[in-house]
Amino acid sequence: MRNVSAIMQRELLSLFCSPIAYIVMAGFWLVTGAIAVWNADAFGPGKPATLRDIFMWTPFILTIVIPAMSMRSISEEYRSGTFETLMTAPVSDTQVVLGKYLASLVFYGIMIAGTLIYPLLMEAFGNPDWGEVLAVYLGLLLLGVCFTAFGLFASSLTRDQAVAWILGAVPLMLLVLSVYSLVRRFEGWQRELVQQINIMGRFGQFARGQVGIDAVIFFLASAGLFLFLTVKVVESRRWR
Amino acid sequence: MIEVRNLSKYFGSRCAVDNISFSVEPSTIVGFLGPNGAGKTTTIRILTGYIPPTAGTAKVAGHDVVKESLAVRAVVGYLPESVPLYPEMRVYEYLNFRGKLRGMDRSQREAAIARVTERCWLADALRRPIGQLSKGYRQRVGLADALLHNPQVLILDEPTVGLDPTQVRETRGLLRELAADHPILFSSHTLSEVEAICQRILIIHEGRIIAAGTVDELKARVDGQRRVHAELKGPSREIGAAVQKLPGAEQVKVTSDGDWTHLELAAGSQTCQALAELAASRGWAVRRLHQETPSLEDFFVQAIIDARVSAGSGGRPAPLRS
Repeated sequence: MRNVSAIMQRELLSLFCSPIAYIVMAGFWLVTGAIAVWNADAFGPGKPATLRDIFMWTPFILTIVIPAMSMRSISEEYRSGTFETLMTAPVSDTQVVLGKYLASLVFYGIMIAGTLIYPLLMEAFGNPDWGEVLAVYLGLLLLGVCFTAFGLFASSLTRDQAVAWILGAVPLMLLVLSVYSLVRRFEGWQRELVQQINIMGRFGQFARGQVGIDAVIFFLASAGLFLFLTVKVVESRRWR
Repeated sequence: MIEVRNLSKYFGSRCAVDNISFSVEPSTIVGFLGPNGAGKTTTIRILTGYIPPTAGTAKVAGHDVVKESLAVRAVVGYLPESVPLYPEMRVYEYLNFRGKLRGMDRSQREAAIARVTERCWLADALRRPIGQLSKGYRQRVGLADALLHNPQVLILDEPTVGLDPTQVRETRGLLRELAADHPILFSSHTLSEVEAICQRILIIHEGRIIAAGTVDELKARVDGQRRVHAELKGPSREIGAAVQKLPGAEQVKVTSDGDWTHLELAAGSQTCQALAELAASRGWAVRRLHQETPSLEDFFVQAIIDARVSAGSGGRPAPLRS
């Protein structure tokens, strides 16, 4: 456990020493802020105090932002050769992956915490439903848990940071957008099936204040799957 | 402390390490020599638990590198050839991190960092980011990391590359000191360095160990006669004629330089002594009497050439008499 914590601390130090961290965070806050401004008329008097409009596109934005955050994580170790020192230290591959994952999650948490200004502003001028706010943030956290695992997986596949970003962002973008736009074309049991992986839809539920246990399990299980795959990829690097 | 038996490593169909066996006893420094691409780094990576072997076994401090990989990694101090470090971390931060990975608590880490800082001359650089350090300093940080947990076995891949001459000398002294407590296996291209500090040498070529032994043993195996150079005071022709008759003397070259006669001859082991006795009995003053000793480089080059020749003659090349 100390190994995981040591790796997590080192990774966080590294994340915050790199300009990418700040650019990514600032970019996310900026875009979210811009969306809030564009939707300013949704916050007129008499209208419901809800975060739905601000965060409606966040899942899509995160498909770009989160892989940018985690692209360095493992690919940089390959490139600089520090992968060798990590693999010859008495730590298991699982501990390495977990440590890096937790560091990315902490980073993501800080980034999301920056958006707390919106519910706070709403509280100052209105009467938001804090249950709904809590649900939205739970949804954001789960999105992060899932996407970060995928971004880490993408990072483990290549030495090149840019490629890691593309490998992470493109599949996520395709999944989020295409399922969201195509879901209406299906009927019956097919629609049911597609809804399972409709990330925009699942997040939309959280945004409306509904915390579905199936959605929680979906995000956690997919994170678990990608973390497992990441460990396997890291292990396999020894054999090549 | 290190036992390697029939170790092989294939990368696809390419054989990097071909059925090698050797051992490193406690309190010895073993030098691993070989041309580039011979298999030194691959063997070292197998011993440190980075890559698994294709066949054969390797044990470090009694632990098998495949079955007890974590135990092996805990007792080995390893310095890879490229000395990979995190450029954004400061030296003490990096050593602290590595200490944590080694399971050391805070007080142990502080003591260990103080110890390696002194041993590796890092006091000036502790607070500096690694990215700003020169190659020499980075090498020392890597060495400090390898020594941090007081490992039972040290495995170093080209530890003195990039160091200036004083640092090289000091590192050698350090390695000699450390060898008292820990067996050291290090690979090098610098023959003089290997000659200076190793007790045993392994020469590897194209994945096979073509020679193993102490420095003296290997030098004694260099074929060929050793040339003798002498300067005697006396009549050249008389000296030349007398020297020709000495046992073992061949290809005698005589040059006259005023009063002195320069001699250069191929000689057997007794010739030098016989020449000195001859000069004394004839009353010729001797200004210089020197017999070349073979260097390790001579042996190394000869061994590689022989290995290539036997490889070229088809079939499985035979290892050099080892």
